[in-house]
Amino acid sequence: MINDLVKELENEVGKCISCGFCESVCPTLPAAGYNLWKGARGRVILGKELLSTIKDKETINVSDSFYSCLDCQACLYVCPAGVNAGKVSHISKSIIASDTITGNQNPLAKMMARVTMRYMNPLGVREKCADWFKGMKADPDSNDLLYTGNMYQLMAYNKGMDSMRERMGKNLSEKMSSLVSTIPGLMKLTPVKRDEIIGQKMDKTLSNIALLLRKAGISFNYLGEAEPYPGTFIYDLGYLDLFEKYAKKIAKILKDSGAKRIITVDPHTYDLLKNVYPKYVDDFDLDIVHYLDLIDKSSFIGGSDSITYHEPCHFSLRDDAYNRPLETLKTVANVSLPARSGRRTKCCGGPDELIFPELTRKISEDRYRELQETKAEKIVTACPICFSNLNKGPEVIEIGDYLLSKLKN
Amino acid sequence: MDHIRELSRILGSNLITEREQKIPYMTDASYYEGDLPMAVAIPDTVDQVSAVMKYCQGNSVPVVARGGGTALTGSSIPMEDMLVISLAKFDRILEVHPEDRYAIVEPGVKLDNLNQHLQKYGFFYPPDPASSIAATVGGSISTNAGGLRASMYGTTKNWVLGLELVLPDGNKINTGGKVLKRTAGYDLTSLLVGAEGTLGIITKAIVKIWPLVESKGRILAYYDSIEKVGSAISDLKGKGITPLIAEFLDRITMHSLSQTRGLEFPETASHMLIIDIASTRESIGRELKDAEEILKKFNPISTEITTDKEEMDRIYEARKGAYSSLLSERSTMSERVVIGDIVVPASELPQALKESEEKVQKYNLTVALFGHISDGNIHANIYADIADQDHMKRVESFQHDFAMIAIMHGGSVSAEHGIGLEKKELLKMEMDETNNAYVMEIMKSIRKIFDPNGIMNRGKMFDQ
Repeated sequence: MINDLVKELENEVGKCISCGFCESVCPTLPAAGYNLWKGARGRVILGKELLSTIKDKETINVSDSFYSCLDCQACLYVCPAGVNAGKVSHISKSIIASDTITGNQNPLAKMMARVTMRYMNPLGVREKCADWFKGMKADPDSNDLLYTGNMYQLMAYNKGMDSMRERMGKNLSEKMSSLVSTIPGLMKLTPVKRDEIIGQKMDKTLSNIALLLRKAGISFNYLGEAEPYPGTFIYDLGYLDLFEKYAKKIAKILKDSGAKRIITVDPHTYDLLKNVYPKYVDDFDLDIVHYLDLIDKSSFIGGSDSITYHEPCHFSLRDDAYNRPLETLKTVANVSLPARSGRRTKCCGGPDELIFPELTRKISEDRYRELQETKAEKIVTACPICFSNLNKGPEVIEIGDYLLSKLKN
Repeated sequence: MDHIRELSRILGSNLITEREQKIPYMTDASYYEGDLPMAVAIPDTVDQVSAVMKYCQGNSVPVVARGGGTALTGSSIPMEDMLVISLAKFDRILEVHPEDRYAIVEPGVKLDNLNQHLQKYGFFYPPDPASSIAATVGGSISTNAGGLRASMYGTTKNWVLGLELVLPDGNKINTGGKVLKRTAGYDLTSLLVGAEGTLGIITKAIVKIWPLVESKGRILAYYDSIEKVGSAISDLKGKGITPLIAEFLDRITMHSLSQTRGLEFPETASHMLIIDIASTRESIGRELKDAEEILKKFNPISTEITTDKEEMDRIYEARKGAYSSLLSERSTMSERVVIGDIVVPASELPQALKESEEKVQKYNLTVALFGHISDGNIHANIYADIADQDHMKRVESFQHDFAMIAIMHGGSVSAEHGIGLEKKELLKMEMDETNNAYVMEIMKSIRKIFDPNGIMNRGKMFDQ
């Protein structure tokens, strides 16, 4: 695998002419005080350096450059040479994760991957992730499986993770992470605190999504406490060998449920299952949809609400841009988009939350300000990570919650 | 003296010293790779810039200022253990005064961001190099950048009213001011435009702004010879029409745009003209027709007029991205596109282009020729395999002959990209060939007055 990764990295960085256009849209560069190594062009340049290091069997300390990449891929759409710095970072993380060069593994990343492998959930809280469904009934005979991927539910643990890290300090937290990587069972002994307010909010959003589907006449199955996390972290953090094993396991669980169609509720799971799983799981033939695909746009009452919409990167900055949320919102409200939208949308900073929370804070504050500049009354998000990071005022609302309020009786 | 320790005292966490973090500063948009800098300073106040410069002057630490890192001649790369001073944190638009036609901006503001902001006032800042998405106000002032709109508005030098500059000794000076007219002694502002960071560090700029054009339209005209293109544009200008933009593209460029942007061109066209006319809503139709009639006198293969905004944006972006499109046609990873950037009087252009094409044949190179025809500015985009020494020698010889064409026709070796490392020899050649060797001596003397210890962007533009 390492040879393939090296080849792939050579191809990607080889196209770069270092024009710097990517730096103008990279959200991490200004958040990192304009230190180029945490910007798109810097990552491509360091990708070249990484290749030389491997060739010369030397050492280099480049982990933070690549792990701070949000993989939003905004860089790709302004690059005249078609270089994807997100891809460069992902390949480089994969090389690092494979231990091809020493001293670059990120302990937190490794811990997340190992715990997920063990518990099918990055924090070992899979059972808790089914709480939102209490009182509702699944339809085990349905061909449709509602698959939350635990994503909304995990947002309730962000603050807990942050405060745990702050309490421990960098060194201790890294030592602890290394220990948990070796013995993943330790995660259960040091549980991360759940933020009940966020938890209830996210649970409510999931209930509203389920209600929207039901009102649209969709009867669906749900795996409850057995529902696994899709493995987004394992893939994003570059643990490709582990991811392949994991994805096969999850694909089997999904198939064994009897589902023919998987209804996803967030952009990360949607993108992973639709675009990444088929590359790692043979004959992955499940139909992957987003819940808004199944809800007729005419089900909603049109109105004159003034809203703005923050487009998630995994919907707008992928090859097959998914615009159904925006199209639906346009039928119910006056939508004014922020200056950076569509193929130039700007990430909320969420993917850096785990390892670089300070970058996330700065990026999300900047994006929130841009959304506010539209003067819209509401800011609508369509992703639990985006919501979690941009939830800085009462005007921020998740699309499922907003649309439910606009449903015709 | 431990420079790092002393600079850390001034800059704190705004100083980068780790090797891996310094590596990205070794390159800009040129094909040159610099040396690993001694350190990188990213100051966030003018006081920090002053303190850093005072220290560097006092301790002979060479420095290079960096804006957006989009220079095409190597002017912003570090050499010889230099300290890189990045102005990235100076990224605020401080004041906009439409009524007085000026804005005050910090040097790290990107040109597109400035124009996006000015649009709210119905104004704009005309210099528009193809890299405007990433190029900064400070960097473009330092290279006197041009762009497509130079046809009507001139280059950056026409749009800078005043500058705040930190001198190599750390003192801060202000040149020019907020007024559109000024004859108060020597025009030091003009001297600093295009100085490529050899005289000081720009920390603030007062730039002239202008109202957005009310209405514009575009004429596309295709010809089967460059002579016809040159004659057509000469006649157009001779009749008193000043296009907003006037661009020409050769066949290779058209081909790459059709491959990368899906644009379609007549098969028999060897050259294409893009002419934009700006006018009032009431007059734009008539003025476009008048201009088209002139272009038609020179037997074009076809002409067409559009005022459709989407279509105009598509063509404008394609032309602005022509360099990029050529890049995507590279045959090997080690191939780069080296850009020649000469200028001749516009009336000399057809002959200069003909001679340039002969040189392309002589050196057996693949070269796409396009440029700003109204200004007589030709960009020779040379496919250059930097891993092939013989190939690079031929590229160098072509660049020499190409520059000589400019000189022989009364032009210059650099129109809008600056000198940097790439055109140092060509600048000397221009001065020698035009019997202006003494001008070079004056330049050296000026540089020495500003920078007696020779610490500012050492090795660039010309050797002391």
